[in-house]
Amino acid sequence: MATPLIELKDLAKDFAGIQVLKGISLSFERGEVHGLLGENGAGKSTLIKILTGVYSPSSGEILLDGKPIHVHRPVDAHSHGLGAVYQDSELAGSMTVAENILLGNEPSRVWINRRKIRQEAAEIMRQIGLDLDPDRKASTLTAAQMQMVTLATLFHRRYKLIILDEPTARLSASESELLFKMIATFKQSGITIVYISHRLHEVKLLCDRATILRDGRVSGTLERGKIDEDVVTQLMVNRSSADLQIENRGLRQEKVVLELKSLSTSRLAPLSLTVRAGEILGVTGPLGAGMEQIEKCLGGLSVYDGEIVVDGAVKVIRKPGDALKAGIALIPEERRKQALFPSLSMAENVSLPALSKLTQFGLVHGAAKRNYAQGIIERLAIYPNAPDRPIRYFSGGNQQKAVIGKWLERKAKVYVFVEPTSGVDVGAIRQIYEIILKMAESGAAVIVISTSVKELLALCETIMVVHDGTVSAHVPRSAVDRDGLLAMTISKDAQPKAGMAISA
Amino acid sequence: MSTSSTGAVTKARKDIQAESGASAILSFLRHWGTILVIILFGVFFSLMSPYFGTVSNFNNILFSMIVSALLSMGLTYVVAAGSFDLSIGAVVTTTSIITALLIPSIGWIAATAVGLGAACLIGAVNGVLVTYGRLSGIVTTLGVMFLLGGVNTYLSGGYQIPVDYNEAVFRFLGQGRVGPIAFPVIILAAVFVCGYILSTRSKAGHYIGAVGDNPMAAYYSGISVYRWVIVSFVLSALFSGIGGVLLTSISSSAQPVGGQGYLLEAFAAVFLGATILGKGKPHVLGTLLGVFFLYMVSSGMNMIGISFATRQLFNGFVLLAAVGANAALNREEIHLKFI
Repeated sequence: MATPLIELKDLAKDFAGIQVLKGISLSFERGEVHGLLGENGAGKSTLIKILTGVYSPSSGEILLDGKPIHVHRPVDAHSHGLGAVYQDSELAGSMTVAENILLGNEPSRVWINRRKIRQEAAEIMRQIGLDLDPDRKASTLTAAQMQMVTLATLFHRRYKLIILDEPTARLSASESELLFKMIATFKQSGITIVYISHRLHEVKLLCDRATILRDGRVSGTLERGKIDEDVVTQLMVNRSSADLQIENRGLRQEKVVLELKSLSTSRLAPLSLTVRAGEILGVTGPLGAGMEQIEKCLGGLSVYDGEIVVDGAVKVIRKPGDALKAGIALIPEERRKQALFPSLSMAENVSLPALSKLTQFGLVHGAAKRNYAQGIIERLAIYPNAPDRPIRYFSGGNQQKAVIGKWLERKAKVYVFVEPTSGVDVGAIRQIYEIILKMAESGAAVIVISTSVKELLALCETIMVVHDGTVSAHVPRSAVDRDGLLAMTISKDAQPKAGMAISA
Repeated sequence: MSTSSTGAVTKARKDIQAESGASAILSFLRHWGTILVIILFGVFFSLMSPYFGTVSNFNNILFSMIVSALLSMGLTYVVAAGSFDLSIGAVVTTTSIITALLIPSIGWIAATAVGLGAACLIGAVNGVLVTYGRLSGIVTTLGVMFLLGGVNTYLSGGYQIPVDYNEAVFRFLGQGRVGPIAFPVIILAAVFVCGYILSTRSKAGHYIGAVGDNPMAAYYSGISVYRWVIVSFVLSALFSGIGGVLLTSISSSAQPVGGQGYLLEAFAAVFLGATILGKGKPHVLGTLLGVFFLYMVSSGMNMIGISFATRQLFNGFVLLAAVGANAALNREEIHLKFI
């Protein structure tokens, strides 16, 4: 076989002593579509970030056409012809589709020739089968169309390797079809595609080979035709770290706290469910397949049809403030952007929602605020115990605890956690689980939305799987095992206890 | 062109036709609204005063707006790149003083060149501070504005600096006439044409717009974002410098203060101009029309005897209305930016 386009040799990466990639050796051939699968935390995103120059590897080599290359900055990756399309593609909104496709790569040196730009863009779009008006403003495109335009940009620049990260997460079925056709065109012109997805049927359909990562290592590479659910699941499951020794022994009480009656959005088929006091409901599924709609509705970030009932009263939730008033606390995934004030101190961050309680004659009582914060820091074991330090100097895990701490005293009736332990160090994960379990114990209804199977099995009493905007399974924790649940998240027809069948 | 994409275009046209009449009017107003307002004001003043609608008054308006128009066009680049430049008024004064000071010793050509060079240097300093220095554009240029205020007083000693009456060629720049048209108006027109071509036809203008629109997308497209931000600041200072040179020539002297007055007019013109032709972002032609509107209204109000206080009031109102219209044009789903 000829030299592969990209060869990774023993690539390793650690963050502050924690090994995330433990020696990856892998090759991408010219013109192949190579699937990349793995559980959350298996190292997929770290690997992509190394390939696109966001991170530098701690050790190991990247070979391009057999020659070692250094990719330390995104610009290096661009110059070597390595590119990625992320879910939220970046385009210049007020420029046209054609101008965006050729941005930074215009045909002439000094002057702008709009006619030529338009022609060249139209030609590119014809080649890859993208049917858009080249004169349309980019800001009027849908998320899917923006993603396709970004692809066209990479095609125009003759990139050698294009990484697609969960590309269908925001696409409808027909848009996905178009994307698959484009991938086929790319393949024909010799471009290598690395296709990352949780949806096994897409990987089966598209990929020539698929590599499964597990716990920072390559656990196996499968040829087309050998990619099937059982084998993939088996390669994905990380048995070594399966025993977190936390388990929800059943905290559910009789009282129904949250009830959804035919809740629906444009991307979620009508959903009805109840969550009782003390119950922890886990929601999982492929990214963008509908589970995120639940958090958006409950948090007041999306319009919905149907009813949200909290403690027997119908609540209308149109904006985040409504959710708080209804007693629903949303703990979002992107803490730094959405839930924390990075330059404010730990004390100020955690006491913010409780300020009205800590005021006297309309003035915030400084000592009371500090005491309050101190209490939360101790209860949640936030380390270091430094209430006056700006929160951006704390680790991811301690930041997450602070976000939870913000809502502790508010005594919300419903807590919605989204990926509660993403970016959290291993030591803090257990503590966060204990906090969540305590919240349930004290009678709150808890929803945990997560792509980590391990997490759901540790925390939840009931588990729901969402595929294509519809609930494909809603079962008690006791009815699923690890392999079964994993299979259910990658394919909607899997059996809850699939793992039993293929004991290898 | 493939037939399928032609089909898409036809479909889009049909969609537009299918829109209700109300939204067609709305989209017409969005495009032509500001120009319509300008014309209506022109007609109104022409009816109110017999002297308003004359060629000589038109010339007067053009002549009075020269410096302001130059500053505003320069500022357009900076705002298009997504920043602010509050130092342009002070740059006018600095260039003016440097030019006037140097004319006796090195002649008007060299003096003008040094003046414009100094302006470009100030622009480059502004640009480097907001990019590599990571400072905010507002604060940086505010600081530079005060700094230049000190420099201006220091250089001029606080007195006006006269330009010798014998500098006939230099005085022609600001005071000469070609037929009925004042020579500085011709310079303004020439600068406008260059500036317009630069912003619509050159890569510089294209990239400055891209950077202001979405710096992240520009960065990922391999555009050197910092370079184009710096270029926009240099252009802004250069245009202000040209204004300073013309001002020196027009008044045959350099004043130790006075450039600052143009600053707010320039901002008003840029944001007013952004609404012209429904672009929703600053563009050079819009800015020029914006300046023209402000000076036309000022002249008209003057003629029908409206007090200075009322005119100021009106200018403030126009700026708010223009920015408001602009916000309505570029309506974002969630508005959480308060710069």
